[in-house]
Amino acid sequence: MAAEVLIFNLLSAVAIVSAVAMITMRNPVHSAIALVLTFVNVAAIFIMLRAEFLAAVQIIVYTGAVLVLILFVLMLVNPDDLPEFHSGKPMQNVFGFGVGLILLAEISVAILTRTVVAEPGPWNEEGVAAAGGNIQVIGQLLYSGYVLPIQATALVLLAATIGALFLGRPDEDQEPSPKRRTVATISLAHTRGADDDLIPALRAANIKREAGDRDLIMARDADEFTTSAEEEEKKGQSE
Amino acid sequence: MDANLLSSYIFAVIVLNVLLGLMAYMTYIERKVMAAMQDRIGPNRTGPVGLLQPIADGLKLLVKEDIIPKHADRRIFLLAPLLSFVLAPVAAAVIPFGDSITVFGHEVNLYVADINVAVLYFLAIGSMGVFGIILGGYASANRYSLLGGLRAAAQVISYEIILGLSLIGVIILSGSLSLVEIVNQQSETLTIGPLQLPNWFILSQPLAFIIFLIAAVAETNRAPFDLPEAETELIGGFHTEYSGFRFSFFFLAEYISMIVISLFAATIFLGGTDGPIQDGVWWLALKACIFLFFYIWLRTTVPRFRYDQLMGLAWKVLLPLVLINILLTGFIRLWGLGML
Repeated sequence: MAAEVLIFNLLSAVAIVSAVAMITMRNPVHSAIALVLTFVNVAAIFIMLRAEFLAAVQIIVYTGAVLVLILFVLMLVNPDDLPEFHSGKPMQNVFGFGVGLILLAEISVAILTRTVVAEPGPWNEEGVAAAGGNIQVIGQLLYSGYVLPIQATALVLLAATIGALFLGRPDEDQEPSPKRRTVATISLAHTRGADDDLIPALRAANIKREAGDRDLIMARDADEFTTSAEEEEKKGQSE
Repeated sequence: MDANLLSSYIFAVIVLNVLLGLMAYMTYIERKVMAAMQDRIGPNRTGPVGLLQPIADGLKLLVKEDIIPKHADRRIFLLAPLLSFVLAPVAAAVIPFGDSITVFGHEVNLYVADINVAVLYFLAIGSMGVFGIILGGYASANRYSLLGGLRAAAQVISYEIILGLSLIGVIILSGSLSLVEIVNQQSETLTIGPLQLPNWFILSQPLAFIIFLIAAVAETNRAPFDLPEAETELIGGFHTEYSGFRFSFFFLAEYISMIVISLFAATIFLGGTDGPIQDGVWWLALKACIFLFFYIWLRTTVPRFRYDQLMGLAWKVLLPLVLINILLTGFIRLWGLGML
């Protein structure tokens, strides 16, 4: 069984390292990738414990969750802030460190006093095999003894979904947004950051009413909202 | 080393290499079939009837310059195509290619692994696969790429749900998540009056089969659901900034996923290796080829969906249908067991 111990050590080492990386990475997208790595390694450890169902569900549920997390990062955080997203908030750092210490202390007390190890459940390997495998046993348990917790969880998730829909719906008392919004087009082909200097210029620009009720920004000449190649070069040199 | 472990390892190597070879010729066949459908000739210069074209393409991609954009998130930019490429063939590990055969006195199973959660494993690998696309889109530091990545994420999250739910009907009927078990059940003969039919799940789950087919096209980002790389709006989407062999990793991954999901569909709905005469891997190959041809046919026939139509189709049409299918199947199963 030496091989199994070796593999377990490898998996848990990678899981721990990537968990640490997840909280220390400066870039939230890198953090999310480290989180996925942790989940995958934990799933592999589940497989070694012959809990294949748990492993598969762990990957399906948590990779989806992390995907949404990455989406939030990409949509809500300004890309230029990404590398320094964590820094500059000393209160948060101190508070987070304190809470982390308390959690660590709780876990170590629990492990050291061995209260984490409860009485073994009624299922052993022979019992699971007789019932037809661990999926069947999990299914029967979930829909017999644990029906109430499952239904309660489903209700909470439903409430969260409805809440999100409620918060996300457009305000009815306001005018429909297209009329109020200033529509400006910045070429998507420019590299990130290249258009930043244009935004104030766009705001200050002469806004002309055109085409229905939409506000349009009209460029007086082709160079007005476009950085020239020389300016780009100058910018590159100063960097 | 354990003999079983060794034999499944060797079999995995064979499957991987066959998949890579097939992938190369899949591109050739796609170009030929599309050319025939569009009244063109297609590749015909390299080798006899253009048969060496995939090799020439591979060489071309290998020797091209590997460009990394200046503003790119370098490490992720390098990692993303590999992630896509590695995860695509991994899902093939659970597909049964037949019963066991005897080689040099050893009994060798014609599958890499028969795990009891094979269907869930397949879905899990599928949901991991999109990470390559979204990370590639993010790391390129290009807004078109980012848009492609975001589209891919939204599309895959939506269609992953449809794909998973469409399989629930089959799982209810078979009572197992293991693909080997599902294939075994389909090789039985169903007798309805004078008719002798194979017990394939396409006959008992036709609605689930159609929904699975649609979701599978979306899952592999193929036309008409290739919104993440829509070349007319996003100039290539998530792989705009990729060149040379890194680009071809995305390309390879797409074709391997196509082949793997065709094999999976043939296994789940069309009885896998079960056939009218002499069961064997050739039936599985034939069924998978039908799906692959369907993919190409669809690409040449149907124009690309608009983005909101794509999402509307998933959430307003397919999701209710697939839920109705699960409900009906559940009732029929209970009735069949005499519990209703």
